[in-house]
Amino acid sequence: MSLPEPTFDYEACLTRCAQGDQQALRVLYDQESARLLGVAKRIVGDNALAEDIVHDAFIKIWARANSYDSSRGSARGWIFSVTRHLALNFIRDNANHALADELDHESMADQASPGIADSFEYRARSGRIYTCLEQLEPARRNCILHAYVDGYSHAQIAQKLGTPLGTVKAWIKRSLLALRECMG
Amino acid sequence: MSKVTGSNSPENIDELASEYVLGTLSAQQRNEVRKRMATEPELRAAVDGWERRLLELTEQADAQTPSPFLWRRVQRSINSSLQQGSSTAATSWWNLLPLWRSLAASGIAATLVLAAVLLLRNAPLNETAYLVVLVAPQDKAPGWVIQTSNRQEIQLIPLGVAEVPRDKALEFWTKGEDWQAPVSLGLVKPGQKLSISLDKLPPLAPNQLFELTLENPNGSPTGKPTGPIQFIGRAVKVI
Repeated sequence: MSLPEPTFDYEACLTRCAQGDQQALRVLYDQESARLLGVAKRIVGDNALAEDIVHDAFIKIWARANSYDSSRGSARGWIFSVTRHLALNFIRDNANHALADELDHESMADQASPGIADSFEYRARSGRIYTCLEQLEPARRNCILHAYVDGYSHAQIAQKLGTPLGTVKAWIKRSLLALRECMG
Repeated sequence: MSKVTGSNSPENIDELASEYVLGTLSAQQRNEVRKRMATEPELRAAVDGWERRLLELTEQADAQTPSPFLWRRVQRSINSSLQQGSSTAATSWWNLLPLWRSLAASGIAATLVLAAVLLLRNAPLNETAYLVVLVAPQDKAPGWVIQTSNRQEIQLIPLGVAEVPRDKALEFWTKGEDWQAPVSLGLVKPGQKLSISLDKLPPLAPNQLFELTLENPNGSPTGKPTGPIQFIGRAVKVI
């Protein structure tokens, strides 16, 4: 299955977790751990680290299930947000080290193929966000995707695309505004 | 510039929320957003909106099957925090997971807290007692305990002497779950034991948040926490 089952009751799982039902956490794990690991792996880049992130995410989901508030968003969205932000915190907290590696790596890549405009292998799907992303220029769309999916900082995106940092920041800012307008 | 917007205008809040969710903020900016979300419903709502808008982009990452050990690790971590007190059905202080989770980092402090709890148990039985363990946000090391046997007065007890830069001071804050913003309980010297009357505030309630932040020597200039959180914890009812 590549798409989440529409019938799966994430919220009921969280309610049961909040009541201390470990089986519910297991059900949630079976349902989403592979997708969550995929999300974490893209951001932290390393298998073992990504598993650490998913481990911490499930501990947090278990411990904080009682604080999940359905008026703030879907239960599935919540568990993805928990995982993504753990991964983002990790790479940002270790930014100096990771960024140096990345810049070394990228500057070599740039010499080989400078200014790749369509660097993000992008798979359009049916959701609203994809309709709106389609309306952005490819380079700007890539900025958004590299940031959200790869966890790249402004500086990393600038390196990756061979575009000045200020331009990348402005593109992202305007693209987010455009998405906001398009999606409501 | 056709329009002047302050840093707290809806446009700025939405921009900050969008870059927080997108992931482009620095570690420090991310920390600030997380802290502000706790007290600013507008920012929280803006972040929730962006989480919802961008969620589908998680589909761009290929799913990857975890190793068979990962679930066992998760299970072990959960069980080791459960083991501390699963033998009694009634909710008692020794059965409070958040308390034990926050203490897992330090056995010595746990002993001190135990002593504090035992003291509390001598309190008059008709009063509801509360306990708060304030831990450092990064390593969860406990630094202070708040005890009370009466909902109008609390005692802040240091477990050690916190290190505070020479030009800074520790300010003590509390916020009930349904309060709009934290309220200052004054400045605290590292290592100082303090009794504080809460008579101008609503009675202490379960889950009420307490924190110590690093502020200017005369306290926060804005009346709201501005500096980094040094210690944080929530009130748990001791039965």
